[in-house]
Amino acid sequence: MPWSNQGGSGGSGGPWGSGPGGGPTPPNLDDVLRQGQDRLRAILPGGLGGGRGLTLILIGVAILWAASGFYRVQPDEQGVALVFGEWTSDPETTGPGLHWNYPWPVGEALTPSVETINSIEIGYNSIGKGRGGRTAARTNDVPEESLMLTGDQNIIDIDFSVQWKVRNAGLFLFNIRDPAATVKVAAESAMREVIGQIDIQPALTEAREQVQQDTQVLLQQMLDTYEAGIEITQVQLQDVQPPKAVIDAFDDVQRALQDRDRLQLEADAYRNDIIPRARGEAVQLVQNASAYREKVINEAQGDSSRFLSVYREYVVAKTVTIQRMYLETMSALLKDTEKMVIDSGAEGQLNPIPYLALPELNKAIDRGAAKTGREATQ
Amino acid sequence: MSKLIVGLIGAFVIVLTILAFSSLYTVSETQQALVLQFGEPIGTPIQEPGLHVKSPLIQEVRYYDRRVLDLDPPAERVILADQKPLWVDAFVRYKIIDPLRFFQTVQTESRLRDRLGQIVNASVRSTLGSATLSTVLSNERASLMAEIRGLVSVESTRFGIAVVDVRIRRADLPEETSQAVYQRMRSERNREAAEFRAQGFERAQRVISTADREATVLRAEAEREAQILRGEGDGQKTKILAEAYSKDEEFFRFYKSMSAYTEALGSKNTTMVLTPDSDFFKYFNTLPSSAEGD
Repeated sequence: MPWSNQGGSGGSGGPWGSGPGGGPTPPNLDDVLRQGQDRLRAILPGGLGGGRGLTLILIGVAILWAASGFYRVQPDEQGVALVFGEWTSDPETTGPGLHWNYPWPVGEALTPSVETINSIEIGYNSIGKGRGGRTAARTNDVPEESLMLTGDQNIIDIDFSVQWKVRNAGLFLFNIRDPAATVKVAAESAMREVIGQIDIQPALTEAREQVQQDTQVLLQQMLDTYEAGIEITQVQLQDVQPPKAVIDAFDDVQRALQDRDRLQLEADAYRNDIIPRARGEAVQLVQNASAYREKVINEAQGDSSRFLSVYREYVVAKTVTIQRMYLETMSALLKDTEKMVIDSGAEGQLNPIPYLALPELNKAIDRGAAKTGREATQ
Repeated sequence: MSKLIVGLIGAFVIVLTILAFSSLYTVSETQQALVLQFGEPIGTPIQEPGLHVKSPLIQEVRYYDRRVLDLDPPAERVILADQKPLWVDAFVRYKIIDPLRFFQTVQTESRLRDRLGQIVNASVRSTLGSATLSTVLSNERASLMAEIRGLVSVESTRFGIAVVDVRIRRADLPEETSQAVYQRMRSERNREAAEFRAQGFERAQRVISTADREATVLRAEAEREAQILRGEGDGQKTKILAEAYSKDEEFFRFYKSMSAYTEALGSKNTTMVLTPDSDFFKYFNTLPSSAEGD
């Protein structure tokens, strides 16, 4: 049947369906039917048999068929009504609410959602999505999608996702075959073009925002060229890493940075330790010297004034003072020392009797060194 | 008799219905169509969606897609101008704009795919064959792709299609080259790591030695100041004592000798051997002359 050729996308419903998107059957359908039958009975009264019954059935079927042309457009959807496969109101779409179009097989109503955000994962596959589809329990890496060349001919491992939604229902439905696949290949191409123009280091770090933006702009341009009726709402880098084969080397760079900081901090600690100590020692040295200075000066002043006091009195009685001081000194000196008085004998002669320094000898024996008394004689 | 009439009418209605169905056809928004009569295309292609009429039974309808179509030929190994091999995966987006010519040249989409795939590969080879890897990885990539697109466009007009876009989806190094790249990346990172560590050592040494120097200087300065202070003390002492002692040098000598004797000889383990001739013993043996005379 030629009818079956219509509409590649979205199978049409049966006679009682109301197209894809499935608005519920109008609630007053039974009422309408019953009222219609009542009216018919009123017009054609009496108990006429078969012919009239057949007519009633045909009319009822016709009403049911017409009623199946109602379709509901949800708030996040746009309605596209087709008559014999032609979009009659192009490019007008119907807004949210209840609408009517010719029922199958003449007409068809499509209600694509224009608010639903679709997500495409590139470079990885989420397995077991969490509630809301946002958080993936774990992911499978897809290296052939995620490994790409950077501008400085390095290889980088990028997982990213693309969020898109329908901007123009008509273009989306009728202008591009397999829109999701197109978004995916276009996104891969755009990402690689962008990454191919920057170096690996910024790509890994500060240029992420820029990469997202540039890719989104480029991807949108491409899809606009295809008139795909698709809006890219977000390009999001999920995981940007060096390839697994070299990740240890990259990690080592991070460790080296840490080492550098650590060494520096340790050196700072050393400096913070020794400088105050040295300062303390320096203060101690200066203070000691200062104390010495004060001590010496004060002692000198003391000695000086002591001497001067004695001197003042000495001037008054020179001979007596000298004598007294001499005798006092000598008596104090000789009082505590061991002494031996030897007469000199004949004047000017060396004393012929040697002195045996017995006390000295005793001490000398103790020390293990003998001494003669000769040295002590004079 | 009346039954026969009813039967004839019924048969007529059935035949009419079959004829109607085989002469009516719809073309949807996503389609365009070509009417064939005994396999030969008749008239202009139908590119308007809606209900259309054809001769029943002898004509058939060939539908073609009116949308942007995709073609993703398998990746090709391409040698670049700088002899570097590259796996290039290109994709094409095209539209059938002339179904008649399309029917005459390739007839079906799967046959077009083969032909177009070859054209794309040839265009990619010839364009990238004269480009270096650094060109591919630069903002000239866009112009390279435009060049490929131009070549594919020219080659493919004879199929009745319009090339919307030809792009390089992936351009990856082959496995063996990747290993070399990884090796290089690793070396680069090792170099970087070594540099960071050495920088850390350098900075640490700088801080440590500066600190050591500062500490030493601090101590030396303190030492200098200390010696200055000590010297000042000693100087003051010398000055003060000199001032006092220079009043009478002779007395100073005597005074100082006395205290020096006390200090030097005053300890108990000094043994003194004396003769009674000294001044101390002046009166030890003899009385003064005045007393002698008594």
